[in-house]
Amino acid sequence: MAVVEQTASADHPPDGIGELDQVTVVESERVSPLVRLLLKPAATALMAAVVVFVFFSLAGSAFGTLAGIANWLAPSAEIGTVAACVALLMIGGEFDLSAGIAIGTTGVTMALLATHFHWPVPAAMLGALVVAVVIGLTNGTLVVTTGLPSFIVTLAMFFSLQGLNVGVSTWLSGNVVVFGVNNAAGFAIPHTLFGSTISIGSAQLQISVLWWIVVTLVASWILLRTRYGNWIQCIGGNVLAARATGIPIGRTKIALFIATSCAAWLVGMETALRLGSAQANEGLGLELQFVVAAVVGGCLLFGGHGSIIGTALGALVFGMIQLGITYARWPAQMYLLFLGIMLFLAVLTNTLVRRRLLRGT
Amino acid sequence: MQTPETTLAQELPDSSTTDQSGAVSVVGPPRVNPIVSFLVKPAATAILAVMVVFIYFSLTTTGFDSAAGIANWLDPAATLGTVCAMFALLMISGNIDLSSGVAIGTTGVVMGLLATQAHWPVPLAMLGALVVALAIGLTNGLAVVKTGLHSFIVTLAMFFALQGLNVGITILVNKPPDTGGPVPATALVVAGIRDAPGYALPQLILGSSIPIAGAQFQISIVWWILLTLLASWVLLRTKYGNWIQCIGGNTPAARATGIPVGRTKVALFVGTSLAAWLVGMETALRLGSAQPSEGFGLELQFIIASVVGGCLLFGGHGSVVGAALGAVTFGMVSLGITYAKWPGEIYYLFLGVMLFVAVLANTVVRRRLMRGV
Repeated sequence: MAVVEQTASADHPPDGIGELDQVTVVESERVSPLVRLLLKPAATALMAAVVVFVFFSLAGSAFGTLAGIANWLAPSAEIGTVAACVALLMIGGEFDLSAGIAIGTTGVTMALLATHFHWPVPAAMLGALVVAVVIGLTNGTLVVTTGLPSFIVTLAMFFSLQGLNVGVSTWLSGNVVVFGVNNAAGFAIPHTLFGSTISIGSAQLQISVLWWIVVTLVASWILLRTRYGNWIQCIGGNVLAARATGIPIGRTKIALFIATSCAAWLVGMETALRLGSAQANEGLGLELQFVVAAVVGGCLLFGGHGSIIGTALGALVFGMIQLGITYARWPAQMYLLFLGIMLFLAVLTNTLVRRRLLRGT
Repeated sequence: MQTPETTLAQELPDSSTTDQSGAVSVVGPPRVNPIVSFLVKPAATAILAVMVVFIYFSLTTTGFDSAAGIANWLDPAATLGTVCAMFALLMISGNIDLSSGVAIGTTGVVMGLLATQAHWPVPLAMLGALVVALAIGLTNGLAVVKTGLHSFIVTLAMFFALQGLNVGITILVNKPPDTGGPVPATALVVAGIRDAPGYALPQLILGSSIPIAGAQFQISIVWWILLTLLASWVLLRTKYGNWIQCIGGNTPAARATGIPVGRTKVALFVGTSLAAWLVGMETALRLGSAQPSEGFGLELQFIIASVVGGCLLFGGHGSVVGAALGAVTFGMVSLGITYAKWPGEIYYLFLGVMLFVAVLANTVVRRRLMRGV
């Protein structure tokens, strides 16, 4: 970051967008507050959340009630927990297409350890955590050492895990669903911590929503308030500058991949403990929704810029649409149509509007 | 950047006028060891993969190398390969199309609905689906060109939109009774194309099978080979091929030399959608019904087959024949696993390992070999 600032002040007519960004920050008194809000990476996601909430509240009667809100916060939490880490990874300039299926992998690992090998549930969860760390470590190390695009490396991991999940669970338990986690030893406490629901009035709020908020706050704090956040943005924005300033690029990237797998582990545990069983295909297809939530939340596809709060709002929008479609009595699959349109509009707004606004200031 | 340029020059001797420094390695005496010059070709990894996989399953299983076995694994290879021929061209131009898999389902469902619900004759219904395919390709292409957004995002949006529309429209048309439970499987298929008027001729052209040596070869294999030859000819022997490689390799240079970058990209997106249409028609006509989920998940396999076939992920370099060989490899593996009586999902494990090894071989090994040349 120091390098960027120096060049910006040295040759005074700045022409890059990143430098323009800094100018707008410095000369903030001349920029109208509305423009400044719109320039924030999370602005589009915030508007989307408001529009979608108002739309479905008017369309479906139960959508805006306390019970309705608790309902759509559950799928939001599933997407949002992992998306928070995927967003950090994307800001660092990398992808993880294996983050969705890793939910299934960790769930199946935990369930098999608990039911087939009769480990107590907390130990089985630790075993699954080790698997998650290994997945992240493998992804990260391969990306850093081979220099291949993370899209390819994690796509390979995605297919491998998809095959292994079903292969191993059918081999050991004879089924693609591993049942009986709820009868394993030591199920009660982990279930309360990760898989229970909290009664708020008449509504049943899943505890995963709290975990989602915690993960989002931690990730946002790291990005905005620690030097690691600066490292991540610098690596994603300009690898050469990051290397020149002595940032440990390899280690940071590997840590981000591990964090993403661990977030997938958290969701895997939540799901398996709530249902008392683990499905081999859990999380399949979510990998792209994480990317979409992050992009809608203002993350650039190729790194350098983004917002964790925006990503959380993106996940919120998807939870709302997913449940709102059901409340409006449309076929559930129409959710994906909304997702597609939403993605396109959000990215268009994010890039085009910001480009135009920056030119205007 | 050194690597693709030099390889290109070796592959395309007739393009030597454009690149003086690259021409030297072509004109100069054959100092390059023939093994190295083979391994440097983009399709080399795919050729090796095909050979290894074929020999392995031929030795370990019975029936894999019989005529019936070959006909069996050429069928999934044709499904993958038909779209891959166009997908490879698109990738060489530096774009991807994540909607090309579900577009197979979309065109199939549109054709099925037009034939069974609107009672159009099948050939007309196919034309209707063709218009939809054109619209999908045009939308993708124009959105990429006009907005400057990355094709990954634009076609991901199209992927989600089509996925939702395919299933949503099929359910809305089939109107299953609202039991509150999951939608019954019968509501998730457009049935009865077989009974629509004018089914026989299109079925013969696109959905029949040809008996050769006692085995039934699907006619889709013929279409796949034709399309691969056409796409390869376009890439290697026409100016459009040069345009495509130039756009993918260096867009500002392409624009500076006056190549119509926008039009070429839009044409490539349309070509990919049309290939998906062809596969959608083949599948719907063969089965006599159309499934909205048909083709879902194939989009990533198209990428893999193309990358295994030597296409760079970010464009500028690749081989259509290599992509076809990539498709053959995956066809062989998906059937070979059945012949070997392994659980079917191991296919995905293989797909992942294969992708990683092939890309590593393609990039790292070639980088090292080129340094030695």
